[in-house]
Amino acid sequence: MMKNIHFDNLQETLYNEKLDNGLDVYILPKRGFSKTFVTFTTKYGSIDRTFIPRGKTEEVTVPDGIAHFLEHKMFEKEDGDVFQKFSVHGASANAFTSFTRTAYLFSATDKLYDNTEILLDFVQEPYFTEKTVDKEKGIIAQEITMYDDQPDWRLYFGTIENLFHEHPVKIDIAGTVASIQDITADYLYECYETFYHPSNMVLFVVGAVDPEEMMAFIKKNQDAKTFEDPADIIRSFPTEMDTVAITERKLAMDISKPKFNMGMKCTNTDIDGEEMLIQELSAGLVLDILFGRSSDFYTETYNDGLIDESFSYDFTMENGFGFAMVGSDTDQPEQLEKAIRTTVKNTVDTWPITDLELNRMRKKKIGQFMRSLNSPEFIANQFTRYTFNNMNLFDVVPTLEKLTLENLKDAFQTFSDESGHTVYSIVPADKAE
Amino acid sequence: MFKKVELQEGVTLYIRKSEQFKTVNFSIKWKTALDEKKSALRAVLANVLEESNGRYRSQTEFRNALDELYGTVLYTDAGKRGETNIVSLSAECVNDEYLSEGGVLEEVLSLIKTVIFDPNVVDGQFDETVVNREKRSVKERIRSLYDDKTRFAQMRMLELIRPDSAASAPSYGTEKDVDALTSADLFAAYESMLNEDEIDIYIVGDIDEDDMTEKIRSLLTFNSRKVNKRQTATQQTMAQETEVRHVREKQDMKQGKLHLGFSTPVTFRHPDYPKMQITNGVFGGFAHSKLFINVREKESMAYYASSSYSSHYGLLYVMAGIDAELEEKAVNLINAQLTALQQGEITDLEMEQTKALLANGIKSAFDSARGQIEVFDQYKELDENFTADTIIAGWESVTKDDVKNMASDIKLEIVYLLSGKEAN
Repeated sequence: MMKNIHFDNLQETLYNEKLDNGLDVYILPKRGFSKTFVTFTTKYGSIDRTFIPRGKTEEVTVPDGIAHFLEHKMFEKEDGDVFQKFSVHGASANAFTSFTRTAYLFSATDKLYDNTEILLDFVQEPYFTEKTVDKEKGIIAQEITMYDDQPDWRLYFGTIENLFHEHPVKIDIAGTVASIQDITADYLYECYETFYHPSNMVLFVVGAVDPEEMMAFIKKNQDAKTFEDPADIIRSFPTEMDTVAITERKLAMDISKPKFNMGMKCTNTDIDGEEMLIQELSAGLVLDILFGRSSDFYTETYNDGLIDESFSYDFTMENGFGFAMVGSDTDQPEQLEKAIRTTVKNTVDTWPITDLELNRMRKKKIGQFMRSLNSPEFIANQFTRYTFNNMNLFDVVPTLEKLTLENLKDAFQTFSDESGHTVYSIVPADKAE
Repeated sequence: MFKKVELQEGVTLYIRKSEQFKTVNFSIKWKTALDEKKSALRAVLANVLEESNGRYRSQTEFRNALDELYGTVLYTDAGKRGETNIVSLSAECVNDEYLSEGGVLEEVLSLIKTVIFDPNVVDGQFDETVVNREKRSVKERIRSLYDDKTRFAQMRMLELIRPDSAASAPSYGTEKDVDALTSADLFAAYESMLNEDEIDIYIVGDIDEDDMTEKIRSLLTFNSRKVNKRQTATQQTMAQETEVRHVREKQDMKQGKLHLGFSTPVTFRHPDYPKMQITNGVFGGFAHSKLFINVREKESMAYYASSSYSSHYGLLYVMAGIDAELEEKAVNLINAQLTALQQGEITDLEMEQTKALLANGIKSAFDSARGQIEVFDQYKELDENFTADTIIAGWESVTKDDVKNMASDIKLEIVYLLSGKEAN
C-alpha cells in the first residue's frame, strides 16, 4: 500500500511504497515545476570491493574501479547506446558512482512515462560482453587521466589516502589505468547480480508528477519482470585504526600557487539512523562556527593572506568512515596549517562555542535546507543517501531545532584528536625541491 | 513571464510572482560597454561591495547578520556577455511563511539598499585595507586560471584567434590592471556604475507584485540615465580565407587538451540563430551527437568530446581530452564529422533528438529562479515577449537542409593542443 506523509511546515507530501520485489519507491510532487527528475540508485559504490557474491559461499575481492566501470557499461546494450533512447524522448540522462552509491538518473519535461520505462529497463537488463568491456577501457583511461591533471581532485584524494590505512575509501572511485585492465564481463555480472537486486535499490521521482499514476506505472513495470528472492548482502571491510596512515605528504604539479588541505579523521562511524543524523549535523555546525565566513579564523587568515576565495571546508560521513577537511590555495602552507591546528586545539582546550553561535548557525542551516528544497536534484540524491543510512531527509529541520551544545561537543570530539589529523599539499613543480 | 516596470529612464524592474519556490530571489544588474581596464575595476568593486558596508563595517559583522537572517545568500559578481560588462548583486532569502519568525524579507530588502547605497566608505574613499585585500583576491582568481588546464587551454586558443577583442577579454581584467588601480579609481567606478549604467532589477518569488514594486521604488532610488544600447553585430564578418593555424603548447601534465576554434557568420542576433543552435547540437552538443558517438563511443579515444556555440562572438569550439600522441587522428575524426554535416549526412533521428533536448534544456532552466532570471535577461534582448514555447517553435521549424547550410559556413581557424612535456 502506498503511504503518504505530509510535512506541514515544508508544504510537501511524500509518497512511498515498498514493492513486492523489495524496491523502495518514493514520489514527491513539486507544484509549479515543468521537469521531473528521477533517480534509480543502488547501495553499491567503490568501497564495496570484498563481498560474498550472490549464490556463492566464498568471499571475493574484485578489481579496483569496478562499480564505476559497471555504471559506464550499463548504458551499452545489444541494440546500441541508451543515451540515444533518452534523447529521442527529450530526457537528459546521466549517472554517477560515489564511495557508497551508484545512481542512474534523468531529467525530462516531456514523455515522463517513456523515460521512466527506459530508466527502469536499462538498469535491470545488463548486457556485458568481453568486446564491449575492452572497448570501454580506453574511455575510462582518459577519464582517469583527466582527473590526474586536476590539482583539486589530487589534493582531495591525496588527503583521503593519507587518512586511511586499510579502508577502501582510500582507493580512487574510478580505479587506476592498470586496475581496470583486470575487469571482465564475468566480474561485471557477478557485481551486478549481487548489488542490483531491487531490494538493494531506491527509486526517487520528484517534480511534475501524479503520484498515484506514477506508482501504478512503476508497479506494472516491476510486476512484469521476475527477480530472485531478496538476499542479505555480505560485505567485508578491514579493521581501520583511529590514527592516520600518513601524517604529511607533498606532490609537485604544474600549478601557479600551492594548495593545502588538512584532513581530520572521524571516529564513531559505525552508526546510522538518528545517531548518525545528529552527529553529522552537529559536525557540520561546528565546522561552520569554527571556519565559516563569519568566524574569527576566516577573518584573520583572509586578512593575513593565508587563504583566498578557494578556501573551503567539508564534512563527509558514511557508515564505516568519515572525515572533515579544511583547505585553500595558499602561498604560506605552513602558516595556514598552524592556524587550523591552533583553532582546533583552542576549541579542544577551552570550548569557546556558546548558545549564541549555535543558535545563529542553526538558523543558517535551516535556511540553507529550505533553499535546497527548491532543487529536485538535491532532494532525490540526498533523500536516497539518507535512506541508505536509515535516516530521513525531512527530519533535518526538527533535528537541527533540538541540537544542543553537548551534541556539538560530542561530534567535535570524533575528529579533534591530533592523531587523526593529516596534511597534504600540492606545490608548483618549478618550486619543488 | 516577468512583469516589466520602468522605474526611471534606464532603470527597469522585472518582477514575477511564483509559488514554485520556497525562497525569494533578487538580482540587480549593472550593464556597461566592455573595456579591459573597466573589467578590472568592476571585478574589485564587486568584491568590495560584498565584503562590508556602512552598516556592517567588517566581513564578520556582515556575515553574522546574513546568518541570522536564516542564511540569506548575498553575493556579487562581475563578468561579461557579448560586448557588455555586467556587475550583479544577487540575494536569496527563505520566504517568511516557512519560518517561525517574520520580517526576514523586509530586513533583506533593507540590506540590499545598504549594500548599494551605503558602502564601506570613509571620507569619500573606500577603506584602503579592504581595497588592497580584495585586489589581492581578484589577482589570485585571475592567476588560478593557469591551474585549470581545460580553462587555460580554452583561454589560450581564444587569445590566439581573437586577440584584443571581446571574445578573449578576461572577465576580471588582467593582474596588471588590478595592481594599478587605486581606491580613488574604484570610487569613481562605483559612482559611474550607480549613475550611468543601464540597470535591470529582477525579483522572483511568492510575493505581491504591486506591493513589492512600491517597496523597490522607495528603497532603490536610482536616478534616471540615458542608456545607449550596446549591441553585438548581427552578422560576424568572416576572416579572409587563411591557413588553419596549428599551435602546440606544453605544460607538465598527462592528458592532451585538444581545442579547435571555428568561426560562423551567425551570431545571437542573426535570424539564423536557432538554426546554428540545432547545428551545434547535431555536431557535438549532446550524448547523441556526432562527436560523442564517433570520437568517444566508436573510437574510445576520449572521455569528453563536445562542441559549444559561443553565439555572441560567432565562434564554435570543439574540446576533447585525448592521448596527445593521437592528435592527428582526433583532428581528422572531428573534421570528418563537420564534413558529414556539410554534405548533408544528417538523420531524422539526430534532428528529433537535438530538438527534444534543446526544448528540455530551456524548459528545465525555468525550473529555477536563477535560471528564469538569466535566460530572460539574455533573450529579452531579442524579444521581450518570448516564452519557452516561442523559442521551441523556432527550433522545430529547422530542417536538415538548414543544418547543412549552416555547417557549410563554419570554418576551422585553429587547432590548439596543450599537452605534457614528454609527448612530442
